[in-house]
Amino acid sequence: MKRHLTVAIAAGLTVAVGVSGCSKGSSSSGDGGSDKTIKFVAAIYDDNTKGYWDGLIKDFEAKNSGYKVDLEMVDWTQMDAKVKTYVQTKQVPDVLNYNAFSDFARDGLIYQASDVVSPNTLSDFSPTFVEQAKYNGTQYALPFISSARLMFYNKDLFKKAGISDAPKTWADVKADAQKIKAGGKIGYGLPLGPEEAQAEFYSWAMNNNGGWVDASGKWAIDQQANIDTLNFLKDLNKSGLTQPNPESTDRKTVFNQFAQGRVGMSIGGPFTRAGFIDPVNKNLNYGIAPLPSKAGTEHNTLGVMDILAAFKRNDGKNKEAVRKFLDFFYDKDNTSKFLKLENFLPVTKSAGDALSADPYFKQFVDALPTSKFAPTGNPAWSAVAGAVKQQLGTAVANKDPKAVLGDIQKTAEKAG
Amino acid sequence: MSERTTATASSGEQAGRARRAGRRPVRLRTVLLTAVGWLVGLLFVLPYLQMFLTSLKTPSDLTRSPGSYVPSHWQWSNYADVWKGTGVGQALAVSLEVAVASTLVTLLCALPAAYYTARNRFRGRGAFLLLVLVTQMFAPTALVIGIYREMVALNLTDTLLALILVNAAFNLPFCVWILHGYFSSIPRELEEAAFLDGAGRMAALARVTLPISMPGVVTAIVYTFIAAWNEFIVALTVTVSPDRKPLTVVAPSFVTQYQAHWQFLFATSVIAIVPVVILFVFIERYLVGGLTAGSVK
Amino acid sequence: MHDVPDSGDVSPPADAVPGAPRSGAASPAALRALRKLAPLLWLGPSILLIAFVVLWPVVEMARTSLQKITSSGLTQGWNGVRNYSDLFDEDALIPVLLRTVLWVAGVVVVTLLLSLALGQLLNARFPGRRVVRWAVIVPWAASVLMTALIWKWMLDNFSGLVNRALLDLHVIDRPHNWLGDPHQAMLWMMWVAVFVSLPFTSFVILAGLQTIPADVYEAARVDGAGPWRSYFQITLPLLRPAVLIAGIINVINVFNSFPIIYEMTGGGPGNDTDTTTTFMYKLAFSDQHVGESAAMSVINFALVLVMVALYLSFSRWREETR
Repeated sequence: MKRHLTVAIAAGLTVAVGVSGCSKGSSSSGDGGSDKTIKFVAAIYDDNTKGYWDGLIKDFEAKNSGYKVDLEMVDWTQMDAKVKTYVQTKQVPDVLNYNAFSDFARDGLIYQASDVVSPNTLSDFSPTFVEQAKYNGTQYALPFISSARLMFYNKDLFKKAGISDAPKTWADVKADAQKIKAGGKIGYGLPLGPEEAQAEFYSWAMNNNGGWVDASGKWAIDQQANIDTLNFLKDLNKSGLTQPNPESTDRKTVFNQFAQGRVGMSIGGPFTRAGFIDPVNKNLNYGIAPLPSKAGTEHNTLGVMDILAAFKRNDGKNKEAVRKFLDFFYDKDNTSKFLKLENFLPVTKSAGDALSADPYFKQFVDALPTSKFAPTGNPAWSAVAGAVKQQLGTAVANKDPKAVLGDIQKTAEKAG
Repeated sequence: MSERTTATASSGEQAGRARRAGRRPVRLRTVLLTAVGWLVGLLFVLPYLQMFLTSLKTPSDLTRSPGSYVPSHWQWSNYADVWKGTGVGQALAVSLEVAVASTLVTLLCALPAAYYTARNRFRGRGAFLLLVLVTQMFAPTALVIGIYREMVALNLTDTLLALILVNAAFNLPFCVWILHGYFSSIPRELEEAAFLDGAGRMAALARVTLPISMPGVVTAIVYTFIAAWNEFIVALTVTVSPDRKPLTVVAPSFVTQYQAHWQFLFATSVIAIVPVVILFVFIERYLVGGLTAGSVK
Repeated sequence: MHDVPDSGDVSPPADAVPGAPRSGAASPAALRALRKLAPLLWLGPSILLIAFVVLWPVVEMARTSLQKITSSGLTQGWNGVRNYSDLFDEDALIPVLLRTVLWVAGVVVVTLLLSLALGQLLNARFPGRRVVRWAVIVPWAASVLMTALIWKWMLDNFSGLVNRALLDLHVIDRPHNWLGDPHQAMLWMMWVAVFVSLPFTSFVILAGLQTIPADVYEAARVDGAGPWRSYFQITLPLLRPAVLIAGIINVINVFNSFPIIYEMTGGGPGNDTDTTTTFMYKLAFSDQHVGESAAMSVINFALVLVMVALYLSFSRWREETR
């Protein structure tokens, strides 16, 4: 009754003011219509992304007459809120390009991978990534792109400081940073701001045998190895070897300074060259090395993977169109074109060597086998990542690392 | 020149005259006042001057550290780029539509309510005014989760209607108060004269009361328009499609995870601010009069 | 629209006013009934708009705070008071609440003090006063969001103008990250909040000043009162209604202020610069905990109610003392 009334009023007001042009746009397929039209929500990686999908979809529609793909591009900063809205309003897209999937799988919202791609496509994914795409032992997500992290260092600054090689141990890092600082520059650029603190931290922690979970898969965020890692980073900060206020600095700021030749070392990814360095200073003389580890013996790298997820809609009637589209995208030529355009690393065996021709990318491709991933298969991960982004930086500033990690551990256990 | 520009309220006029009559150490005082006045004015404009200058900088100017005061090269093309390449024109239209429609809805609801409560005593009048007062205490920010869930329930997420309703409702109380105060200050006799002349109540309202209340109405309009034009959090949460985002949501998106296009952000900001400043310049004199009534009652 | 009477009758008969309309005692019953409905005709739209857009979300929010909502956004039934116990479990909660009080009190008091001076200045006569008035209005015309962004940019630790100017003046010898340290960041954000509140407040004060009749001053001058005495004994008391209105509107606006903190520090590092408003938003959209966030908004709501009660008792006191 109350709802009827209010809807009537809303309608009345709308008419009264003549704001007819602002109702919801045609909500495409939705009810009972053709199952040959699917909605695809893609993330904007950079200015080229939309062009790529426009072309691919045109191509797909030409080769599969009757099938149609509605594309919607969403910026990463808006993605989380938008995905939530889709789920709550029951307006999920058929295919979503995202970085998390396990809570969808847990809540029964998405198809298993084997339902929506052909066996050929399924077997083409590299095993490393399939592992990351599983929830409770079943593969739900489709690996989409991957990325890895390595240590970037400024060769000119190293030479000036009399350092011959990239640092291998944590002690090297500190010593090198001190020498660079003596020359008036920033030794190590440490971005622990809310943008990607979890990636920076894990890049260090994994090389001290730390991590997010223990061997049994239980949250182990406040383990000693992690505390030691934060203490090391805090020491770097307190010794004035990093830029001021790492807890509120983002990657783009650090790499902007790196590109201007004011930072000795910082951890970056395949996109760092095109995204951060070249636009500022194409002539920067820098090198790339494995992530330093505490002992200096074994060097792990941080792996990052984005995924595609296929949502259940219309009692499964969208399955056929989704499968056609996904198989089309996972065609070798189409995938490697995307990787080259966007500077990402492959997730399939067939697209494998497309990037290895470029020595810059080869280093990242080579590092992939030693990569470790965040536990994205755990539905609580997105809550944990949120807490890490917000809180972790404070540990290298004014808070006690042990207490900060303890808090995050609490959040993790609460989330499941 | 400044003599001509005194604000409308007649008591202000009198005060001015009185002060002039009693001029004592004229010169120094005026010089000092002028200096302080202009300095204060400058302080208020300075950030926006910086905004304008930043909107004309090149990317290399922006990454220089320490920063530069003025652009090394005046990049006027930033404005063309931002207008052509992005959805700024679209966003401007959305902002305008939302602000205008919200203002209309607010006014349509507030005018009758304010007038009636100012002129009549009736059962529930106190309760109504209390409701308005309590509503005044809430901003969309405090209720954003509830608004969001409501719009989800009504299937109104990602619509401009949602934004219009929210802006209209949350600015309603202020408008009712301002207009209520203004209507109360107009002697009933004026209206009754017209009423006796044979005009209906509505006609009396339209011909006599409304014109006299213009400063109040203008203040209400401006307040609502500005608030709707600048609203951020509800638009941020409720809209998703690019073609339904107002300027306040589009502008910050120029500074993203990977790139910081401050020049585009501030070019967009300048585009958003200029129309409103011009609006203000035209109605500044009404504004003081309008707020007077509101603050007395 | 037949339902309209229902919603109106809900309002309690707060004041049965005797000095009611000029109605003749004997009118037909039908007309009387019609007259009874008349208020609803005039007030209806406002009541409906408020009920629909303000009260509904309040109810919805309270409901949500008792529900279990998964991180993907699905609602999975009732959750008891679990959301509240989760919220009270947050170590950040108490500091955030205290900070909110400080934020509101600090910003509003400073705004009012500066506005009293500014209103006086804008009311004084000097060449170019009009232009200065326009200049003071600008921060009101510009959105708070964009003002926050330009300040953020000016405070940038590498390329910001504040650092550049202070370096040139030799106040500091190396760029400083103003928004990095929570205490400094808080002070800067409070300044921005004051800056955007000044136009509206000083214009309300200015409007108040213009309602003070000149002869009052004249009389005081004849009595031999100096400018300071006449300010404290005449101007200030007469400005009380204006200050009260400006004060309460500012308290509400500042309490609910979101864009300044959201854009300048994001409430970080950690929750060290969060107020209840940004904290609530972050609970929902970065911790993915919609239920707990709704619980936070209910607390927020209660805080606002307390402020309303305080204001009401304060303004009633005002009426009595008149």
